[in-house]
Amino acid sequence: MSIEREKLEADVLIVGAGPAGLACALHLARLIDEHTKAGHSPALSPENIYVLEKAREIGAHQLSGAIMDPRGLRELVPDFEKSAPLDTPVTGDAAYFLTARSAWKFPITPPPLQNHGNFVVSLNKLVKWLGGLVEKTGINVFTQFAGAQLIYEGNGIAGVITEDKGVDKNGKPKDNFTPGYELRAKVTVLAEGPRGSLTKGLVNRLKLDGLNPQVYAIGIKELWDVQPGRIATGYVAHTLGWPLDSSIYGGGWIYGMRDNRVSIGLVAGLEYHDPLFDPHEAFQKFKTHPFARKILEGGKLVRYGAKTIPEGGWYSIPRNHMDGGLIIGDSASLLNSQRLKGIHMAIKSGMLAAETIYEALVAGDSSAKTLAAFPKKIEASWIKKELWTVRNFHQSFQHGLWAGLAHTAIQFVSGGRGLIDPMRTRPGYEEYHKLNRPLELVDQSKRFKGDGVLTFDRLTDVYHSGTRHEEDQPCHLVILDPDICRDRCVREYGNPCQYFCPAAVYEMVMEKGAPKLKINASNCVHCKTCDIADPYQIINWVVPEGGGGPNYEGM
Amino acid sequence: MKILVVTEQREGKWNKVSFETLAAAQQIAQQAKGSLSGVVIGKGVAALADELAATQLEDVLLVEHDLLERYTPDGFSIALKQAISGTKPDLVLLPHTYQVRDFAPKLAASLGKGMIGDCIGYRYENGKLVFVRQMFQGRTAADVVFVGEPPWVATFQAGAFRADLVVQRQGGKAPVKPVPVELKPEQIRAKPLELFREAKQAVDLTQAPILVSIGRGIKAPENIPMAEKLAKLLGGELAASRPICDEGWLPMERQIGSSGQTVAPKLYLALGISGAIQHVVGMKGSRTIVAINKDQNAPIFEVADYGIVGDLFEIVPAVVEELEKWKAS
Repeated sequence: MSIEREKLEADVLIVGAGPAGLACALHLARLIDEHTKAGHSPALSPENIYVLEKAREIGAHQLSGAIMDPRGLRELVPDFEKSAPLDTPVTGDAAYFLTARSAWKFPITPPPLQNHGNFVVSLNKLVKWLGGLVEKTGINVFTQFAGAQLIYEGNGIAGVITEDKGVDKNGKPKDNFTPGYELRAKVTVLAEGPRGSLTKGLVNRLKLDGLNPQVYAIGIKELWDVQPGRIATGYVAHTLGWPLDSSIYGGGWIYGMRDNRVSIGLVAGLEYHDPLFDPHEAFQKFKTHPFARKILEGGKLVRYGAKTIPEGGWYSIPRNHMDGGLIIGDSASLLNSQRLKGIHMAIKSGMLAAETIYEALVAGDSSAKTLAAFPKKIEASWIKKELWTVRNFHQSFQHGLWAGLAHTAIQFVSGGRGLIDPMRTRPGYEEYHKLNRPLELVDQSKRFKGDGVLTFDRLTDVYHSGTRHEEDQPCHLVILDPDICRDRCVREYGNPCQYFCPAAVYEMVMEKGAPKLKINASNCVHCKTCDIADPYQIINWVVPEGGGGPNYEGM
Repeated sequence: MKILVVTEQREGKWNKVSFETLAAAQQIAQQAKGSLSGVVIGKGVAALADELAATQLEDVLLVEHDLLERYTPDGFSIALKQAISGTKPDLVLLPHTYQVRDFAPKLAASLGKGMIGDCIGYRYENGKLVFVRQMFQGRTAADVVFVGEPPWVATFQAGAFRADLVVQRQGGKAPVKPVPVELKPEQIRAKPLELFREAKQAVDLTQAPILVSIGRGIKAPENIPMAEKLAKLLGGELAASRPICDEGWLPMERQIGSSGQTVAPKLYLALGISGAIQHVVGMKGSRTIVAINKDQNAPIFEVADYGIVGDLFEIVPAVVEELEKWKAS
């Protein structure tokens, strides 16, 4: 249907109100404020900066472990220790290697996992607070509005079209139909987090991929309230080994937070070989290890969630500037996978983008040439310095845990170079081993059910993510060729979507004697695992109607 | 400023939102020191025009024609265009109803003008009328002004003004002036059919004292009548968990759970329902919960007061038989 859209023009449009997007907005507001106070021209105003956020409220889609390196926040908000909602400083750290029954503690915590001087934070709370600071500057943060399409112009982008609201599940307008707005801006900043839907399209269309493709891990997390005395506040532990076998990149975490709250989770690289590997089940099993069990037993599940993590490092960073556009934060793969930290880089990249944009607005020129200052600023900053030393880290593990650790040790003493530099990889979805099965669905009755006390099935967990969507809307998981699901995938991979989705969105059922894909779209927690891990790359995650999605209170 | 306020009626009954727009029009007329005329359009609506004439305005234009008896976009926009050309108002105000949404843009376009729709208010500043309308789902409001020559067309959102603030006329009713309308049948391209009313929701599950609720265990839609029969015998209603409604075997209004209804009947009978937390939160307040499920580990048994681990296809017919015997005696 051809729709007439209301058009709006802004100076800057930021898609995503996470740490990167908000840092960009806040820093830009300050630069504009100084500019105005000094009487410079042209006249600039924070009212011409729009931030779009698809969640119902700022912070609702934010999930992370998280241990934050304060260096980024310190630059953005120098008095953050007094004003930011930090949960607790890290008071002790440890690393463990787990087997099915025992936990062997590393005599020295490996330096990347040493967290002295860092803070355990709830990213949801931190982002809510940052959102408050941004709104005080006069910048409009439009929650419940998603960037549905990019406006491509010339060699770059000119803005974003927000999603049409009030469309029924057959694509027809409902009584409350409101077409999306056409928002044009001199600079559009994509800060969508890992595997942003607009960023994915942009990278493909303008061929922005770096030397290596972006690769990801899934992080599955639960928040628990536990009995007093089980874990010290600020004590953080990371684990390797069980339940992940040595061919799967990843590990677990347990962080002791204030008031007997515990953050626990498991990370698994989305490049494993067994298509029927179930990351959610692995996480549930992880909790049954005596090491975790003795902390959680007697406690209560508070919240559940999942999100993907951009793991590729320096060589997988896409080109992040173009005519009228910048990509920042997790969308730009700015994360130190060895230290498991990206929040500080998201914030710093937001600030560097703000400086670049400010210069562009003053010069009246937002072409790629002017915005090329952004990657130059990143090169000159501690982002590059930090990422350069771990530039081959994640890729080292493509031949297993032990080879990975060996490579890492050599990289450690060679400033990141290691034995092979750059270490090339394939995209994660090319790593599956084919199964060669008959045209029969894998029996789902044996799926992990949990005991309902310490471990849970996915449906129970999903309930605790608070995820809700308007029911009568088009399905936001767009399958480009469902015939593949019904036939090829049943035979070649056993339909791994039923396994890698942490929210039980995908189900294969028999209908009239033939396999059929059933999608429970309203369970979706917006982690993007399916878009990343599907072997045929036929799942395209698009934004649902704004406001839908998880409610990651406290995560 | 000359203002025209177009009211809405159907089958001789007012659409009450018209009076909210009238109140707004009266306020604008007072502030802008303008004159206000009301418009009643249809056929056989002289009585309504007479009623309107008791409110504070200069006169009421009665726009009648056989072809205006039933609403059509062509009929109404042609007739109103003629009325507007005849009276030459500066401002034409209408209530933002479904019907107005249908013809007002057409009317404005036929006058060669734009329209400011769904306004939530206005300001009269320095002799200029500024309309206010919402953007971004009410997150911000925009000030919109007309440019160019009148007539200007604008509509007001339902609820933006208060109908009870309509001022009554002092000193007798205003004159009602019939407006001649030229309309030919071939100008009206739409043929209005029978009016229909949306079917009222057939059942309110929250009011039912007994619910018989089915889940995946029912296996096929052909088995639902059995459960329905049980519900009728018990004097209750049929309900379902999400998978049943997702398949379309029962309408969504029968769904119980976090994305359906929350109920607390005296008796909740769960047939073949596993008891996932999303369902349980919708019914755990029920006074007595009876569950039938083949799986002894089904979580429903944790909330059930009485449970049978068994095959509902054996148990339900047996229960139905006993109930029929009991009713017959």
